[in-house]
Amino acid sequence: MKELFIDILGKPMGIVMFQLVDATQYTIYLSLIAFVGGGLIGMAITLARISGQKGWVRFSTSYIWCFQSVPLLMLLFLSGLGVPRLLGQDVNPWISATVSLTLYASAYLAEVWRGAIHAIPQGQWEGGYSVGMRFFPVLRAIILPQAMRVALAPTVGFSVQIIKGTSLAYIIGFQDLMNIGKRWANAPVDGTESFIIYPLMALIYFSLCFPLSRLAIHFERKLGTYSKGPQISAA
Amino acid sequence: MIKFSPYPLGWLKNNRFYRGGARLFDFRFFEIYRNSEYLLRLAEGIWLSISLTVTAALIGFFCAAMLALARNARIPVLAQISAAYVEFIRNTPLIVQLFFVAFGLPLLLGYQWPFWAHALLGLTLNFSAYFAEILRSGLQSIPKGQIEAAIALGLKPHVRFIKVIFPQVIASVYPSLTSQFIFLFLTTGVISEIGVEDLTHAGVFIDSRTFRSFEIFITLTLLYVAIALTFKTCMHAIDRYFFSWKVRQ
Repeated sequence: MKELFIDILGKPMGIVMFQLVDATQYTIYLSLIAFVGGGLIGMAITLARISGQKGWVRFSTSYIWCFQSVPLLMLLFLSGLGVPRLLGQDVNPWISATVSLTLYASAYLAEVWRGAIHAIPQGQWEGGYSVGMRFFPVLRAIILPQAMRVALAPTVGFSVQIIKGTSLAYIIGFQDLMNIGKRWANAPVDGTESFIIYPLMALIYFSLCFPLSRLAIHFERKLGTYSKGPQISAA
Repeated sequence: MIKFSPYPLGWLKNNRFYRGGARLFDFRFFEIYRNSEYLLRLAEGIWLSISLTVTAALIGFFCAAMLALARNARIPVLAQISAAYVEFIRNTPLIVQLFFVAFGLPLLLGYQWPFWAHALLGLTLNFSAYFAEILRSGLQSIPKGQIEAAIALGLKPHVRFIKVIFPQVIASVYPSLTSQFIFLFLTTGVISEIGVEDLTHAGVFIDSRTFRSFEIFITLTLLYVAIALTFKTCMHAIDRYFFSWKVRQ
């Protein structure tokens, strides 16, 4: 694989491109883990949020508020530098990055899904209850099929933010596209100046994110979305 | 099989965090707030973070208005450039853009600016794309009847825009703009990576001096949240003051 890159692009550029593409896989893995983990925790938080029980609602509301207002950079610093130094033992960058991105993703996804479920008219719940169904059967058979349609577009749109968010994981020493690219940009090698490397990295990120953005817009047009206003997203 | 400790509550003294009377961790926030140099650094960092973000947002808003108008008016080449620019910025991480603006462009074009100017340029480019997307959807949401009525009244194009279209667009997208601005503010910590002495930079500096990482980053987190809440309150007050004519549900 590496030889192929070198054959096509020449000596410094082929190695650089190979390493960048090779490091991209860790960006993708981290995004996938964060998305799946955040989705699972987000589901639990959403469930707590719509359960209607006072304590759970309060807990989930404060969880969502807390992790939406804390910057991702601070989550990474806390889990990557703060907690290891507090406990006096090293933590693998994989674990820190996964934990902070999962927390970040879970709060956003819970908020998106809560919005989607709240967009379903109250009469749907009441209709379900009136034919003798309980909370979970109503949720599974009536609410979720409708809510999933309108939640699909913002959920896919949010995955773009996770991929962009993984670029920050390099500050705690996570070896991803950003880390390798930065190292090459700082290396005194001809042909890897920062005005070549950073656009290349931007292109790689763009090629990961752009299809997902288009997919989100496609879903939005086809299935609709619950939010009336424009999509808010973080950089 | 469960092993019972010979001491009642023995695990309190014999766990991994509390060994033999000396706790493995304790919170030493006083190391930060008793040192006037650190407090000064934090205050300067807060000031630089806020001023850079607000300036970038204001300039970015004007650029965004241009981008959104070019795209909405379907000016042949400019509309495509605007669309491509917005898509590109929105689909790449802020940190890559900042590194390119701070290290790539000066090398390519041969100029030297102070760090904050690079950060300002990078943030402006970033903010303008996000705001442009919101403004565009606001422009699309204006009822056609408003524009037709303005034409029927014989208003000139620029008057039509300034007096009829623009106030309605701003009023309708103001809540989205506010929350977008606050989300963007929370991501501006990365400008410390290009050497700007903002709030995050102050935190990293104090961390490197005291090694109390947890305490300092908790402090930074609280400061960021507090600033974000202050922004939110100010924006809400502005909303109430300037858009008092708006019909609210």
